[in-house]
Amino acid sequence: MRAQTLSDLLKRGDRVAVSNITGREASKVSEESQKYCANIIGGWALGRSGDTIETSGGPIPVFATFDELMRMTPVERHPNKIIIYSPPPAVYGEVKEVVDHGRDCVETIFIITEHVSIEVTSKAYSIAREAGIDIIGCNTLGMINVHDQVRVGAVGGDAPHETFRPGSVSIISNSGNMVNTIASYLQAAGMGTAYGISTGKDVLILTPMKDLLMLAQKDPLTRIVVLYIEPGGVYEHEAIELLRQRHFSKPIIVYVAGKIAEKHHVSLGHAGAVVEGAHTSATAKMAEFDAYFGSRPFNPDKRYKKTQELRDSLQRGIRVVTLHHVPKAMRLLCDTLSIKRDMASAKFLRLNPWFVNLGELGKQIPQELDLAPGTIPEPYARQISEQEQSRLGIAMSRQSMRNASHASSNDGVTPRVYGHSLMELMTGHSFTASLILYWTGELPRDEFEEKLAEMSLIAALTNGPGTISAQGAKLSASAGNAPNTAMISTLSAMGTVHGGNGSDAVRFLLDIFGPLAIDDPYDARVDISETARKIADDFKKRKIAAQEASLEYRRIPCLGHPVFRNDPVNFDPREQVIHAYIRSRGRTNIFLEFYHALVHALKDNGTMNKVLAVNVDAALACIWLGICWKALREKRMTIQRAVDLPFVAFALGRAAGGAGEFLDHQDSGTDMDMRVPTGECRALTRPKTP
Amino acid sequence: MSIRVTELTFMEQFAPRYGIPVPRHIEGTATRVELKKVLGEWGGRALVKPDVMAGKRAKAGSVVLVDNVADAIVQAKRIAGTEISGTMPRTAYLVEVIPAKFEMFSAITYNSSILGPSLTVSLKGGVDIEEVAEGDKTTIAVDIFKGLDAYQAGDLLSELGCERQYISSLSRTLVSFWDLFISTGMQTAEINPWRITPEGKPYACDFKATIDEANYKSRIPGVEFPDYPESISAFEEEMAAWSASSHQGQAHVSDLGGRRILPVLFGGGASTIITETLEVAGGDPMFLSDFGGNPPYERMLGTARICFDHKLAEAKLLLILGGKANNTFIDVTFQAIGDALISYVEEKGPLHLPVVVGRGGPRLVKGLLSLRQSLEYLKLPYVIFGPDTPVTLVAEYAARLADMLARKNEVIS
Repeated sequence: MRAQTLSDLLKRGDRVAVSNITGREASKVSEESQKYCANIIGGWALGRSGDTIETSGGPIPVFATFDELMRMTPVERHPNKIIIYSPPPAVYGEVKEVVDHGRDCVETIFIITEHVSIEVTSKAYSIAREAGIDIIGCNTLGMINVHDQVRVGAVGGDAPHETFRPGSVSIISNSGNMVNTIASYLQAAGMGTAYGISTGKDVLILTPMKDLLMLAQKDPLTRIVVLYIEPGGVYEHEAIELLRQRHFSKPIIVYVAGKIAEKHHVSLGHAGAVVEGAHTSATAKMAEFDAYFGSRPFNPDKRYKKTQELRDSLQRGIRVVTLHHVPKAMRLLCDTLSIKRDMASAKFLRLNPWFVNLGELGKQIPQELDLAPGTIPEPYARQISEQEQSRLGIAMSRQSMRNASHASSNDGVTPRVYGHSLMELMTGHSFTASLILYWTGELPRDEFEEKLAEMSLIAALTNGPGTISAQGAKLSASAGNAPNTAMISTLSAMGTVHGGNGSDAVRFLLDIFGPLAIDDPYDARVDISETARKIADDFKKRKIAAQEASLEYRRIPCLGHPVFRNDPVNFDPREQVIHAYIRSRGRTNIFLEFYHALVHALKDNGTMNKVLAVNVDAALACIWLGICWKALREKRMTIQRAVDLPFVAFALGRAAGGAGEFLDHQDSGTDMDMRVPTGECRALTRPKTP
Repeated sequence: MSIRVTELTFMEQFAPRYGIPVPRHIEGTATRVELKKVLGEWGGRALVKPDVMAGKRAKAGSVVLVDNVADAIVQAKRIAGTEISGTMPRTAYLVEVIPAKFEMFSAITYNSSILGPSLTVSLKGGVDIEEVAEGDKTTIAVDIFKGLDAYQAGDLLSELGCERQYISSLSRTLVSFWDLFISTGMQTAEINPWRITPEGKPYACDFKATIDEANYKSRIPGVEFPDYPESISAFEEEMAAWSASSHQGQAHVSDLGGRRILPVLFGGGASTIITETLEVAGGDPMFLSDFGGNPPYERMLGTARICFDHKLAEAKLLLILGGKANNTFIDVTFQAIGDALISYVEEKGPLHLPVVVGRGGPRLVKGLLSLRQSLEYLKLPYVIFGPDTPVTLVAEYAARLADMLARKNEVIS
């Protein structure tokens, strides 16, 4: 092996290059690694030359090939560690390219890829060995050097700091995930980690146990080794022979998994299936370790007497029969051999439930099984509190929706909307109620909500033929278009300023009301006037500061109207009807009330010289946010859906209105009558003379 | 990830391609006229063997010598219909009896000691290699690029004390054996025994191999591997097909016959230690599972649905458990499991079993909250742990809870 000690495999200052770095897993892990240790100097992926992977630790340049990476990277930054993330058929080619072009600088190759054929694995090993390059893998998760705070691969996931505290135990594991788990367990014994190494779990482990243990022997930071072993291969048999020959001086705690596979004659998810005689099974490995240690496995209930015999056997180590015995075995080992703990305090391992709701079952089971919620550690407690209290809406998991829909279905017999038969909707519900179902996933809770939604659609129908959306339909009719084209023209004449402002209003309202614990927006007792005053004052400050700096400032959405604006107190009549209806039913829409309070507060604090109209877009936003509020609070709806709904409602109503304008214009208009006479058009550019 | 190859497939598909001499053979379903003809040509005797995925030791009692057509027909039918180590043979076949001066064992396999292929040979053939004394067998490394050459094989045979007149022909056949091994993406291959006639001609008289499906060479043009009756459950079969349908995420299960805990487990290492803990603590797990590998939503949804469809009705407790994931998104996987549970209830009616959950990893909080929400919606009793509780302690707790519930139900019933 090229490495002489564990730090030769990975240390601070190493320069890492990543193959197939733009792949799904490689890019994600590289981003997290850069955040942790910023040791990646570049990557390569065919067809992606010139790209960069943006990370919080700085951009990672992407080259087409390893050869190009070497040619384009200054010599002093040439990589000495390589991570292979390429798909299995490409692995041999990648290793060969690294060997061909990086022979002078590359020391170690970590092959993360799973399902590499055993032939390719063996060939990769052969050419790398010839070039004096070590390989960890295939199918390794990577490695971490905790003292130097560097890693390759995904060891430690997205929070390596949490799992790995610097210490004197090196973990060598056939399972990548167990590296993390064991490191967490060690903290319960007051011990930290020096190195965590995932050996890979394929049939051939290219840096076998015996080599890693010899590196650990020479490593000054490693005082104890913990091993996680699975069935397959003669790796441990050979390692134990070597430990005996070389009088290995560091205690080992070992857990051998996989006895279950023997009992049930099943194969484990991990490979290791080649039968190579008597040394490969879990039982054989357990027996060989017990024989080397000269002791029976650790028994947590036993009172161990600190005899010389115990000291002698623990100096070699001990086997545990279940993994959560590791901390206790470690304590016994440290106490007996007078090994100083890495940390003053230890977190004892115990059942610490975060969430419990056993309901009736809790009364029927013994007390020791009826657990009470424990203490959620940081940073999780804070994250949970943030997610539960301040965030509205659900974040949906993404999937391919090409041939899938939650909204509709048809089993060949019954078309359905969110599970409701379309035929039953036709006979038992109104168009508006069915729309609410299609748009929110739920039928309206009551007639009041349904009526409000209907009013929002009617209010959106028109504001006269001069609105630009109506003009769209009329222009289209004038050009001789079909009805659908005219309706599309109406829709295309809408945007964030006309029709879509309601979406901005929802965002604005969510910023204000999201953090407040309001269950029912129609029955809330929040001090609206105070909130409105505060928002108005904030806005005034913002406006003044922006004006002084001659900058644009963000307006409050849905205030004022180009038509209804000339009185000391202005109203949009459509909004007025909606507001009056809500009041007439003895209800209050907290959002709409807030808007009314806000326009008065803006006048009162001198930001405006008149009371602006709360326009119909605001009314639509308040109605639809009211409809969505419960689902948002209960995290059954995304924020984005609630944001889009006022615009969707406006667009539907106005498209219908556009159809009305089209039909009228088609009946009574003349061809091209929307053409503006040239005399009415102003030229803003002087004619050029040659 | 491997295909097992039996002697019959070897004789029909591989031996002719690679020039490996094998005894003449005929399927047991041949007509009386055909059987009579071959028996006449083979000196009146034949061995009837089962074509089954079982080892030499298991097959031993099922290989019968016949010396007339009537017996051949009866034995072929009997052997084809007799279960061997819990597995039914695909068919039975007859092979010519090869007179032998001596027998030889040979195996080529990837060797964890030398991290490359190796050839093991013994002149004590016909028995399992573990039963052969160390001094009577020799293993040599084979260069993965150069392959086995006849000189190497010859030296090996000399070392074992093979008589000179046989070395040349045996070396050549061992080289052919290597060619077969390396050309077809095999992971292990064993010809045992070679029967060497008094004239010095070797015949490969039994064969077994596994082909590495991850090797592109395993897709050999013109070679079709027959389907064998396998003792796998409908659950394992459906999950295997689902797993093979995509490379995204892992979906590996093995039935354990348990009746209490339905374990949805993540990570190879964690799955193993959790299942072992469940067994020891009386959790009686229904199967060994290994999911994870950062499956996208729809993969995890499908995987969970298969588990629930096959096992949830019988389960006393649902355990969703894994270590601290490195790259599996917990929100995606837990949302999918929650959705699969809801779909199950919508289709098949309410559930009443408790759910024990433990997990750590990226986007954990979002995942736990989403799963909790599903469990609340379904009104299922639950206990949810974070990564600060060891998975084996969670498994022990789940096992004790399931054990208690099972006992309670027994008392009630």
